[in-house]
Amino acid sequence: MTIEIKDVCKSFDGQQVLNNFNLNIESEHSYVITGPSGCGKTTLLRLILGLDECDSGSVKLLGDYKYPFINCGMVFQEDRLCEDYDAVTNVTMVSKKVFKETVIEELKKLLPEEALFKPVKELSGGQKRRVSIVRACAIPSDILIMDEPFTGLDEEARKTAIAYIRDKQGSGPLVITTHDTTGLEFGRIIDLGIAT
Amino acid sequence: MQKIVRRTIAAAAWIIIWQLVAMIIHNKILLAGPIDTVAALVSLSKTPSFWGSVWQTTGRILLGFFLGSVIGIILAYIAHEKSWVEDFLRPLVSALKSVPVASFVILLLIWFGSSNISIIICAMVVFPILYLNTLEGLKSTDVKLLEMAKVFRMPGGRRLRYIYLPQLSPFFKSAFKLAIGMSFKSGIAAEVIGQPLNTIGNGLYLSKIYLETADLFAWTIVVVLISFVCEKIITKVIDIL
Repeated sequence: MTIEIKDVCKSFDGQQVLNNFNLNIESEHSYVITGPSGCGKTTLLRLILGLDECDSGSVKLLGDYKYPFINCGMVFQEDRLCEDYDAVTNVTMVSKKVFKETVIEELKKLLPEEALFKPVKELSGGQKRRVSIVRACAIPSDILIMDEPFTGLDEEARKTAIAYIRDKQGSGPLVITTHDTTGLEFGRIIDLGIAT
Repeated sequence: MQKIVRRTIAAAAWIIIWQLVAMIIHNKILLAGPIDTVAALVSLSKTPSFWGSVWQTTGRILLGFFLGSVIGIILAYIAHEKSWVEDFLRPLVSALKSVPVASFVILLLIWFGSSNISIIICAMVVFPILYLNTLEGLKSTDVKLLEMAKVFRMPGGRRLRYIYLPQLSPFFKSAFKLAIGMSFKSGIAAEVIGQPLNTIGNGLYLSKIYLETADLFAWTIVVVLISFVCEKIITKVIDIL
């Protein structure tokens, strides 16, 4: 698959965050979007997902895909978990194609076993983040998009999470936004602070 | 435990006060005491029409409550999705909220007669309560979670179960609690005015005609008990959901 981002401009309240931005996102490639706060990282992801519209330019999904809207595994900037439910339910709830036994095995790769069946509101910020990562990777998707997925993770947990994401990427593209590109050198680094 | 004891003592104190006032007035037409009321209740419960009236009234009120709830919830969902529907329904909801039940009862008596009046009145009273509370609940649903559900293509049933219902539950709880109480009040009032045969409202009306204050209180206790039981059952069902 290819997502063509062409001459995209986007501004909020008169402030330009993306200015004639161009990028082709292709299968089996990884993209690490970096840059200072407010430079448009999250905005770019929202445009790719079709959650926002660009002021000018275009974001097009090229190739033969079943859905007009791409199948996406997503880690949002906030965790966006259902706080009263446990980690396993938070992952299984999103799709009928995700099975409990598989999810338990996947969660165990990033979280201690005792954290799996507690309501998510009782987990630490880092643990919630890892639940979000597993949720994004658990569903069958054409693309993985992750907005600051390593927030709240210590160095060791970050390394484990990066290895997990790499393992789960499959043949689709991976787009990550981050302030810190350490350990993400496998991807093409795009600095929005410079690019725009 | 201490709370239950205190509440029981308070209730018992009021029953004693009621009995004392009845003894002082010493006129069963003006005020029947609790002993006379219980005696009237026992006597009424032995009559063949009593249980028929209880079932008939309860069934009709619950049917009206159910219809009003379903219509209120469905229209709230549609109004949440389409803002013009909300604007279109606003005057109707305001009218249903503010127009006295008695006015509707008389109008409906002219239109439809008395047999099913309590069903329609209950539905009309319950509808705005459920509509407004559901709409408020839907508006307060976490938009970020809804966006997450959209991105993950979460199936509709799961969105309802995991996102909407937990957020709507407190709104439903307060709405159903208020609505069930209002249903019995308005449904019985409609029966008293419309006087369909073999109903609690008709029993209350006959108590008034024959100046049987003890019967009036007995029927009132029956209504309060049924309303209380229905409220508890509905609250439990929402908790389970």
